[in-house]
Amino acid sequence: MINGNLKSNYAADERVLNNRYKQVFVYGMALLLAVFGALANDYLILIASKMGLLLIAVVGINILTGYTGLVSLGHAAFVAIGAYAVTIFQNVTAGIIPDGIMIFFAVPFAVFLAAAIGVIVGLPSLRVKGLYLAVATLAANFIVIFLIEQDVFARWTGGMVGLTTNAPSLFGWVLDTKREMFGLIAVVGFVTLLAAQNLIRTRIGRAFIAIRDRDYSAEILGISLLRYKLTSFSISAAYCGLSGALFAYFYARILPEQFELDLSLELVAALIVGGMGRTMGPVFGVIIIVMVPEVIKITFGAITGDAAGMAQLRAPLQEIAFGVLLVVFLLKEPLGINQIVDRMLRAANRWPFARG
Amino acid sequence: MKMNRRSFLGTTAAATAVMGTPMILRAQPSEYVVASSLPLTGPFATAGQLVSPALKMFEALVNEDGGIGGVPIRTTIEDSGYVPATALANYQRALATEPNMVMYYGDSTGFMKLVAPELKGDNATLMGSTSFASELANPAENPYQYLPGPSYEDQVDILLQNIKKAGGTTVAFIFSNTEFGRDPIAHGKKKAEELGIKVVLEEATKAQGADIPTHVTKLAQSGAEHCILQGYVTGVWPQLIGGARQFGLPTQFYGTFWGMEKLIADRVTAEAGPFLDGYSGVMPYRYSYDSADAPAYQRYAAFQKKAFAGTPLENYLPTWGLQSLVSLNLGIEALRRVANKGEEITAARAAEELAGIKDFDTGGFFGGPISMENNKIGTGRVYTYKAETGLFDPTSDWFTV
Repeated sequence: MINGNLKSNYAADERVLNNRYKQVFVYGMALLLAVFGALANDYLILIASKMGLLLIAVVGINILTGYTGLVSLGHAAFVAIGAYAVTIFQNVTAGIIPDGIMIFFAVPFAVFLAAAIGVIVGLPSLRVKGLYLAVATLAANFIVIFLIEQDVFARWTGGMVGLTTNAPSLFGWVLDTKREMFGLIAVVGFVTLLAAQNLIRTRIGRAFIAIRDRDYSAEILGISLLRYKLTSFSISAAYCGLSGALFAYFYARILPEQFELDLSLELVAALIVGGMGRTMGPVFGVIIIVMVPEVIKITFGAITGDAAGMAQLRAPLQEIAFGVLLVVFLLKEPLGINQIVDRMLRAANRWPFARG
Repeated sequence: MKMNRRSFLGTTAAATAVMGTPMILRAQPSEYVVASSLPLTGPFATAGQLVSPALKMFEALVNEDGGIGGVPIRTTIEDSGYVPATALANYQRALATEPNMVMYYGDSTGFMKLVAPELKGDNATLMGSTSFASELANPAENPYQYLPGPSYEDQVDILLQNIKKAGGTTVAFIFSNTEFGRDPIAHGKKKAEELGIKVVLEEATKAQGADIPTHVTKLAQSGAEHCILQGYVTGVWPQLIGGARQFGLPTQFYGTFWGMEKLIADRVTAEAGPFLDGYSGVMPYRYSYDSADAPAYQRYAAFQKKAFAGTPLENYLPTWGLQSLVSLNLGIEALRRVANKGEEITAARAAEELAGIKDFDTGGFFGGPISMENNKIGTGRVYTYKAETGLFDPTSDWFTV
């Protein structure tokens, strides 16, 4: 229950951050990220950047799976398209477009290309649902990786050997350190989250939710399934493409094997663990998926010491611990970490009158 | 302020103290760190689990010899699961948490390529790896990475020369459809043409679970006398040879480094019969049981008997472990040369010293003294497996390419 949240006009009710808690949270987080970017060591910056890259893609999956109710196991394909498109575009147009403003052409190109291919991959969603759709989208992942690896395209894609990527330049300011890249990723990640939050309160977002809850009813209400399902696919693909574009800028090299089925599954797993259909779900999910293995690694390392022999035993145990943790989370709260956090916040809000 | 003798001396002393202190601290840390990523889980866990004790042994023996210029070393091992991005994260973590890291040991071609463009300025570290990928030996672009032996291209060169010597006229290339498998094929075709050997088949297979009968049939149709296998570690190559023998093919099979492990050949022989008898391949090093002319091997053997009693490593050191030891020993040699000159250890200086290693005695890993040329060591010889004894015996002289 949120108190003191009286709205006296429609504009206030329609705002993206429609209450003080949200405002304080969002501005506080922005400040925290800025401080973190300035003070954290290289390792923390690396981990945070990895989280940011994954987050942008998971926000995309959330629009498709969480809000529109369409399952996809092929979204790593769009991350790959984004990463390769931005690099190839930059390589092909180098010299034509000045380096300082290249990013403003290359990234939108990658995003639009991913969105366009997203529409094609989304076509089966008009016929099939649920598990069948999941399997249909699975093909996208394999086809895209297969094409990237073909010798015919190796001139542009580098084939099996991969492609060395370019560092982005903002009007001549070359973002060639991880910390500078973190700044870019953090800003873009923040904006994508807000954009997603904004999207679901618009007409389009409401149409997505209607389709998720019951597609027949949505159609009877006058929502065009063709249009909105494909829109959902293209928006989520665009987010993944954006993630891929930043991925290419962040890592010095991209290889086809980085975008295989594992990544698709990781995206879906992060969403499920975090909480589907919630704006903050992807954030919590990504924190769990990226940070927990690191924490387990460090904890196990601290317990067993640095002895080389222990690393052998530690490695499989870490994997098991992570797996067990995921199962426990899902058993305790199938609606994801977001729901757990909600419950804790509610309890804090109502304390001492009620708990949970 | 007017400068006089006293204030000049005072200022100079203060400036020296301020600038010099961190130099002294950096020059003499309490330990140097050799960090590594190994595949302790995942598809190549077998290799990673066998290599990691070798790293432990390396640490102990280097410290016995006084470390690097009197400063002891410490090795750390992280699991990569054979995922390049995980190994990269391990490397970045080591960079951030181990200020005294002087060398890194990576575990896949993918990782080495992923990390290569990042090895600049403060982020550079001397870096060996388990890979023999030809692309990694490129000191002009990347002086920090090196190969502890011949590249896959060189290995195929050696095999082709050997085939030529034996009077062979046709050869087939069967390789896994991975970067690892494809690495030397283009070069191999060119070389075969130069030597007048006809390439009658180029066949790509899956890296795991390949469709053996199809590939064997194609091999039979091609009528190749010799067949070079590339890009396999524990699987596929034994099945291919087994399939060919069942089919009644007399083809002579050859492997490169990763297909030449005695433990695998022994296991296949024990489980499926002696069909690997006569299988040959190129190996840059002596096998660990060939220790008569290798004082380093004798020292390892003594250590293994004590430290690894009751494990497969008690009496035998896998070729994969030997590769890691060569790689790390070369790196340590370069670092020691820097330290012995009284200079501060930097990646750039270490890479310079590494590239300058000439006629260096490794203690018996190789046929003789070796030199780093183009950040690799182009030497090796051909071994043939005898199922009866379970040993790979040398069947050629040392080739240099």
